[in-house]
Amino acid sequence: MPKILLVEDNEMNRDMLSRRLQRRGYSIVIAHDGEQALSLASTEMPDLILMDISLPVMDGCEVTRRLKADRRTRHIPVIALTAHALVTDRVKAMNAGCDDYDTKPVEFVRLSDKIHNCLLEKKAL
Amino acid sequence: MSLQNLSIRRKLILITMLTSSIALLLSSASFLIYDLISFRHLLTEDLTTQAEIIGYNSAAAMAFKDEPAATATLSALMVKGDIVAAVLYSPDGNMFAQYFRNDKTLPAILPSRSQEKGYRFEGRYLEVWHDVTLNGERLGTLFLQSDMRQWSTRAKRYAGICFVFVLISGFLAFLVSSKLQKVISGPIVHLEDTMRMVSAHKNYEVRAVKAYADEIGSLIDGFNTMLSDIQNRDTALRGANDELQTRTRELEEEISHRKEAQDELLKAKYVAEEASRAKSTFLANMSHELRTPLNAIIGYSEMLEEEAHDSATVETVQDLQKIKSAGRHLLALINDVLDLSKIEAGKMSLHLETFEVSGMIEEIVTTLQPAIEKNSNTLWVHLAQDVGMMQADITKVRQILFNLLSNACKFTDHGTISVDVDQSTEQGQGWLRFRVTDTGIGISAKQKENLFQEFVQADTSIARKYGGTGLGLAITHRFVQLMKGRIGVESEPGLGSTFTVHIPAQVKLEAVGPIQAEGDSDANFEIKTGRDTILVIDDDVAVRELMSRFLGKLGFNVLTVASGEEGLRLAKQVRPVLITLDVVMPGCDGWSVLTKLKADSELSKIPVIMVTIVDNEPRGLDLGASNYLIKPVDRERLAVLIEKHRLNRFKTVTGTNTAPMSRLSHGQKRREGDAEVSGRESHAKNLTSRR
Repeated sequence: MPKILLVEDNEMNRDMLSRRLQRRGYSIVIAHDGEQALSLASTEMPDLILMDISLPVMDGCEVTRRLKADRRTRHIPVIALTAHALVTDRVKAMNAGCDDYDTKPVEFVRLSDKIHNCLLEKKAL
Repeated sequence: MSLQNLSIRRKLILITMLTSSIALLLSSASFLIYDLISFRHLLTEDLTTQAEIIGYNSAAAMAFKDEPAATATLSALMVKGDIVAAVLYSPDGNMFAQYFRNDKTLPAILPSRSQEKGYRFEGRYLEVWHDVTLNGERLGTLFLQSDMRQWSTRAKRYAGICFVFVLISGFLAFLVSSKLQKVISGPIVHLEDTMRMVSAHKNYEVRAVKAYADEIGSLIDGFNTMLSDIQNRDTALRGANDELQTRTRELEEEISHRKEAQDELLKAKYVAEEASRAKSTFLANMSHELRTPLNAIIGYSEMLEEEAHDSATVETVQDLQKIKSAGRHLLALINDVLDLSKIEAGKMSLHLETFEVSGMIEEIVTTLQPAIEKNSNTLWVHLAQDVGMMQADITKVRQILFNLLSNACKFTDHGTISVDVDQSTEQGQGWLRFRVTDTGIGISAKQKENLFQEFVQADTSIARKYGGTGLGLAITHRFVQLMKGRIGVESEPGLGSTFTVHIPAQVKLEAVGPIQAEGDSDANFEIKTGRDTILVIDDDVAVRELMSRFLGKLGFNVLTVASGEEGLRLAKQVRPVLITLDVVMPGCDGWSVLTKLKADSELSKIPVIMVTIVDNEPRGLDLGASNYLIKPVDRERLAVLIEKHRLNRFKTVTGTNTAPMSRLSHGQKRREGDAEVSGRESHAKNLTSRR
């Protein structure tokens, strides 16, 4: 059962996404902010991280940058979730080291495809 | 003052006087000479006559050698004042008797011997020799000497008279010429005065007065005519000058008015731009704020739908589907509004790539399948043989066709919809033509006028009947314009419509116009889609060559530079898709190049792969490098990394600005189609029931 770390500050999104992902058979670990995400990533060692970019205090780009700078967590694929319609956010996310991105509102089918692909790629590596 | 520079008046007087004086002098002189000559002649005759008389009177005395008698006879000459000396010579030539008016002069001038008879002038004296005869016998010779006193007196007097005459006549000539010269010099002087007045006071109204109808008269006439001409011209010139000054003043006023207007316009423009920016920001924020709750609505309805499939009743599933599709519809509308506001703000940019037209059409048709089936329509797709690849913004082309086909499906019931694609060449440029034809309700001529305008549907009843924002065609139109294409429509109400879109087969970035205001400074830089550019920054020539060859084989354009500065400059100019960067370089080292690249908002998105012998990966990644490779380079790994970035970039590029939304709306529209089945069914039912 692949483990996904969901980093999301919005309660509704968190609830909805986690429930739907659980229905798809993933085990879900939830972080409310960047700090928590960093610590959970190293203790829980998830197979994949879903990262909301617009987080309070430390934004998703910064969290990703730190994850990717850490040898222990570098290998974990990160899918950025950008709510903004602005391009720059996505570019920022990719530059920060995210492996893929998707926009909010989440189109669940597409997102789960991306998750599936990322996990396959990871396995292949 | 030389003679030539004398005034006319003096010249005239001088000429007159000279002329008259010369004439007078010549005539007086000739008269005098003639008179003196004839007087001398007279004197000679007179002296000769006296010699004859004295010779006759003294002949007896000579014959008798009576010297006292001879001397007495000679002494009778005393009455003749001009006789200086008289001498009687005996036939042997010796002096016999003599008379002298003044004894002192005697020895010097008296010839000692007798000479031939006759007369001669000796200096101031006239001498006469005469033979004294008695009854044909020569008794001696008489010598008379006169000092011609009368002659010289007469000459002096005559000369005096002449002098006085010349003086008087000269004076008279002066008086007369002084008076008469005015006839000539007067008008000239007057002309001169007039001329001086004109030139001194610039007064062109004065005129010279013509006194006589001679040459000077015509000169004055000419002068006056010339003066009138000058006066006319001067008046005209003054008029023109005044007008010019008035015009200049008017122009200056006009300029200052314009300047004010321009300032105001600039101000207004600034305000408008500010407002537009504020609007764009507001829309962007607003759309975000709207999406967040929508996210929850759509997400929860989807989730519940999934759960309901397992347990709940069919009605619940359908209701949840309605909530979901309404949410999707709302999202699509928000996306449309945002698209349009971006276009209006000039923030919509093109992301060109080369793609296969048939693939794109196929994709659209698949997506639209539900919408086509909904109104029981049939779709025909016809692609001409020669339609292959095109270079354009695929997302926008897709959305253009999607919008047109969605409309066709929406407004056609139990009809035929067809898509024709072919290629043509106009003025050396390849064009792709997409024709979407339906057999639907059609558009009236009046409705056509506002067809491509925002928020305007063919008429308000349509909004009620078919829904929609009225933004679809406006966005389509703007997208076509962005790619320098054109769109047209032919339609018969009740029979159907045909929308024709022409898009250049090779859309060019520089043709986009105001869109570049987004910040692309190098508008001339043409993106070569098949081959992306990689910039290699390395001071080692061997590395540069190896990389160049290797990356070239992978299908990239490779630019190599030896220094960091040059690399930064080129990166700005060329905007490579990727940069490989060495650390140890003379001058600007790799760390600082990387820092600068990442600090530049325009360059920061370009992935940088560090390729170096320095083993300091954390620092490289900290500074923003995407990957860190240590020399000697593992080519396999480099190729994999580049390919990964290329894929990412592809996502990013297609996603940039419009794509994610379009993709969303794309996907959502697919679902929207599903949703509309239910929504429309009620419409359809209403329609049938009405019928």
